[in-house]
Parts: sequence; C-alpha cells; structure tokens
Amino acid sequence: MEMRHDNVGEVRRIVLVGRLDTAGVDVVETRFGAAIVPNGKNTIVNLTEVTFLASMGIRMLISTTRALSRKGGKLVMYGAGPGVRDVIETAALTEIIPLAGNESEALGLVG
Amino acid sequence: MAKPSQSKSDGVRSAAIVDGRLELVLNNRMAAIEDGRRCLVEFLAGQVLDEVVRHRLEVVFEELVSNTIRHGFAMHSDQSIHVRVEPRPGLVEFTFEDDGWPFNPLEVEPAEPFKSIETAKIGGLGISLVAELSAHLSYERLAPHAGQLGFAPRNRLVVAIAT
Repeated sequence: MEMRHDNVGEVRRIVLVGRLDTAGVDVVETRFGAAIVPNGKNTIVNLTEVTFLASMGIRMLISTTRALSRKGGKLVMYGAGPGVRDVIETAALTEIIPLAGNESEALGLVG
Repeated sequence: MAKPSQSKSDGVRSAAIVDGRLELVLNNRMAAIEDGRRCLVEFLAGQVLDEVVRHRLEVVFEELVSNTIRHGFAMHSDQSIHVRVEPRPGLVEFTFEDDGWPFNPLEVEPAEPFKSIETAKIGGLGISLVAELSAHLSYERLAPHAGQLGFAPRNRLVVAIAT
C-alpha cells in the first residue's frame, strides 16, 4: 500500500495506491492520518488506484475523517472503481463521507 | 496451484482443486489472509465473473478469515480454517469450517446505519458487510457424534455470492 500527498491550493490531496485490506491498512493508516489531521485542511482522497476495500479500510476512512472534522476540516473521496464503489455504497459510507466521481467534483464538494 | 496436487506456504497448509472446487486449509496465522487470497484469485481467474463480483468474493474471504484468526482461535494454536469455493450456476458458494470458539455471525447485531461522522461506530463492520454482500448466509455448529473420535466441534458457515 502506498500513499502520496500534496496540496491543490488550500486543499490537501491524498492519493492512495494498492489494497485497503488488513495488511494495507496496517502499513498506511498512521501516515494517512498524519498527512491529513494535524493541519486540519479540507482534504480530497483519490481512490482511483485503490484496488480493494473492506471493513478495515472503511474504519480507517471513518476514524481519520472524524479526527479531521473535529479540527473543522472536510474530507471527500473520489475516483473509486466499480468494486471499491460497490463496497462504499453497500456500507452506506456516503452517508457520512461524500464520494465524488472525479477530482473537480471533489474539490467542489470540499469548497 | 491449479491442480489437485497440493501447495503450501506460511498461511496455507494445503490448496487443491478437486472436481472444479477450490479446497484450502489455512493456518492460524495472519499470513493466511494474503496467502489464501492469492490461491482464491488464481482459482477465480479461470471463472467468467465481472469485476464487482470478484471484489465481493475477496471481501467475504478477507472478512471471514481475518475475523476467525483474530477472534476465533487461541493465539499460536494449531487450529485451522477449511475453505471450499464452489462455482455454481448464478453464484459462487463459500464454505468456511473452523475449530475455533463457537461463533454464529447471524446472531451479530447489524451495524447501525451511519448518521453522522461523530457517532459512526467502526466496530463490527466486517460481518455486516458480508451479510449485505451475500445472497445467502447460513451457520451451523457441528458436533461429534457418539463414538466419533478425533472430531473437534466446528463452526460451518456457508456464504453464497450472486454472480
């Protein structure tokens, strides 16, 4: 599991690459939180290159989004492929973390 | 792996294809999740399935194997999980059998719907996800019959994913 991050204007942009399974979350969770939470910026998370998502990955997304929201920031996911999108929708994760189709939509949602 | 002959790794005690079914025996190690998944993916490569169905099958495998190893077994024990994967018309059926603590996932309270990021519960998501993704889910606790020696009580979980 890999992660890259940069900024698009005032918005934090995270790119996740690989599998958000038990092993992948173990590898990336600390870096994911550290790249997002401390500065409290609105954040977009690119899931285009995430090839697998299960409950451990959902847990990571929720806990990081919650910590960010306590600092006043928003998090929006985007670019999920069919399998990852299926799990996000089945778990109704979009009730609490928006999922956009692409980056420009995601940027629009974080304002 | 795609032969009736057996292959092994840290996580996989044995893997074989018998009469078109994948038969895996997984060790009580976290490596069983990834090593077993590789066997599953290799087996499914020979099946005509769309991307969402393949992903669902991997999710069910990951959730149930990791749940058993984390919560169903004594640490460092020699316990094991037997997994059968059987493609059938319109579905793929998993049968998971383990000699761990009794655990009926049908008795697990469904995860509460998410209402806000502040109150969202993050425990118990895996079993709820399996239930939501499955077309069929059944559980039984297998006990030895009178005089049946060497048979440890087992959990048997059957999960069908529609194709």
